[in-house]
Amino acid sequence: MTQTSEASRPPSGGVADAPGPHRRRLKMVTVVATFGGLLFGYDTGVINGALPYMAEDLGLTPFTEGLVTSSLLLGAALGAIVGGRLSDRRGRRRNILMLAVLFFVGALGCTFAPDTGIMVVARFVLGIAVGGASVTVPTYLAEVSPAERRGRIVTQNELMIVSGQLLAFTFNAGIAAAFGDAADVWRWMLVVATLPAVALWLGMLVMPESPRWLASMDRFSDALAVLKQVRSAQRAEAEMAEVKRLALEDKQSQTGGWRDLATPWIRRLVLIGIGIAIIQQITGVNSIMYYGTQILTNAGFDTNSALTANIANGVISVLATFVGIYLLGKVDRKPMLLVGQLGTTTALLLIGVFSIVLPAGEPRAYVVLSLTVTFLAFQQGSISPVTWLMLSEIFPLKLRGFGFGLAGLTLWLTNFAVGMTFPIMVDALSISTTFFVFVGLGVLAISFVAKFVPETRGRSLEVLEQELHARFSDRPERTVA
Amino acid sequence: MTVAVAVTDSAEGIAALASAHAEARLRGSGLLIANLRLNPLDDAEIPRDVDVKVVEREPGVEVGDHVLRLLDDHRDEVELLVIGMKRRSPVGKLILGSLTQELLLSADVPVLAVKVA
Repeated sequence: MTQTSEASRPPSGGVADAPGPHRRRLKMVTVVATFGGLLFGYDTGVINGALPYMAEDLGLTPFTEGLVTSSLLLGAALGAIVGGRLSDRRGRRRNILMLAVLFFVGALGCTFAPDTGIMVVARFVLGIAVGGASVTVPTYLAEVSPAERRGRIVTQNELMIVSGQLLAFTFNAGIAAAFGDAADVWRWMLVVATLPAVALWLGMLVMPESPRWLASMDRFSDALAVLKQVRSAQRAEAEMAEVKRLALEDKQSQTGGWRDLATPWIRRLVLIGIGIAIIQQITGVNSIMYYGTQILTNAGFDTNSALTANIANGVISVLATFVGIYLLGKVDRKPMLLVGQLGTTTALLLIGVFSIVLPAGEPRAYVVLSLTVTFLAFQQGSISPVTWLMLSEIFPLKLRGFGFGLAGLTLWLTNFAVGMTFPIMVDALSISTTFFVFVGLGVLAISFVAKFVPETRGRSLEVLEQELHARFSDRPERTVA
Repeated sequence: MTVAVAVTDSAEGIAALASAHAEARLRGSGLLIANLRLNPLDDAEIPRDVDVKVVEREPGVEVGDHVLRLLDDHRDEVELLVIGMKRRSPVGKLILGSLTQELLLSADVPVLAVKVA
């Protein structure tokens, strides 16, 4: 989880990697593992198009719609915690293999669910896999990549997540167009998710374990053997020292815990981390990622056009993620976050206003579509990438495991709360009022960022740590210094 | 012989360190510092006129256990444990526990609990 900070370090021991067959091997590892990210995206996004059909077929109410959507997110919260522990104990590779099985079983469970109860359980199981993948896949990718390419390979995983969502939106539209009004059309949408799960499982069977994990288990010769598969021979030898150092650093990152919250500056830092996690989700991004088709139907599209139009939401997410990754290297984090929040909040305000002033119909539908696209451009192009990077930057090394874990858990739980309540709020308050609620939360988020969030770009973790310490500490001599 | 001290990231931690330093000088003994902070101590904070050993926390070891293990590892050397203390609300105690209480009850050496005025 410290990938980004490591990205800027020069190659280990000054030995650059030479071309050779190991390059292809590393590329293979990256492709296979990012199937985990793709599944993450597909399984969270597929509900978007499946829900309208499923609601009819299973007789869902706004409450059970929320439950079917968000039981996955509750599972993900659990999966993120348990998955992190398991991958530390039993290895990244074994954990990803197990997650592939869960992805497969969960997707089959959803496909064949005869009623809402079993659907909710199957979505929960799928969620465990999603949460596990959200922590294990980026860790695995970071640990097999050479330091100088680590940043890029890890953001590739982010890209795979939004691509997975785009893929889901596209399949949803395609399947709906092909099968028309068949009652089971949603089951076909869900079953597609089994295919990448099989690919992930088969692929991981022949992938190596993470060298850093092996080093953390004191299996140094195994670690070197793996490194030799994915680096030139010379580079592998040179990199062993770094792998050992990082394995030790990872262990140290697990030092802090609940008891450290007794220290005021640490407590504030952890609260800021939790706040950053909440504001990423409280924009309501996932109300669009999960309920986009319904929002568009509500605005005046028929279901088929809405499914097709929803693809635009997926496309913009992928494009904006590219832009976001580029911007991270150029712009300070805090202004980027503020501009993102301003953009999403304004877009939501306009959706709310136009939903009142325009009558339902094609013109309003196109206006709403252009606004959801605008919203996602700001969200995926600025808020989301900044969130992940900041969370990996603000915690001092020894608190990183605890701080990042708690923030991640908060993120999933907020995601759950939004996913659960959105259909209920729309039903009870109307769609425009619901968006006005998100506008209000957005305003709160903007003031939180302006007031509390520190700038983390362009400072070493050590400098940042000292500064935060001085800002939030009650220890007299530090505040003076 | 040596004086052990638990240094937390707070005014109490600083007070404990000062008292322990004074005790060590008085007794002509060494100073064994259990650093409970997440950062290393500042060089300026470490006394130079007594024999000092700083022990950092290990991953996965709670703050209280860190001190108690240290006492265990130096069983026959430590003659006094110095800690800083402050009042903690019942809610705070419920959530975070009380390090002071844990050390007072579990340490098998005399404990000097220092308050900040």
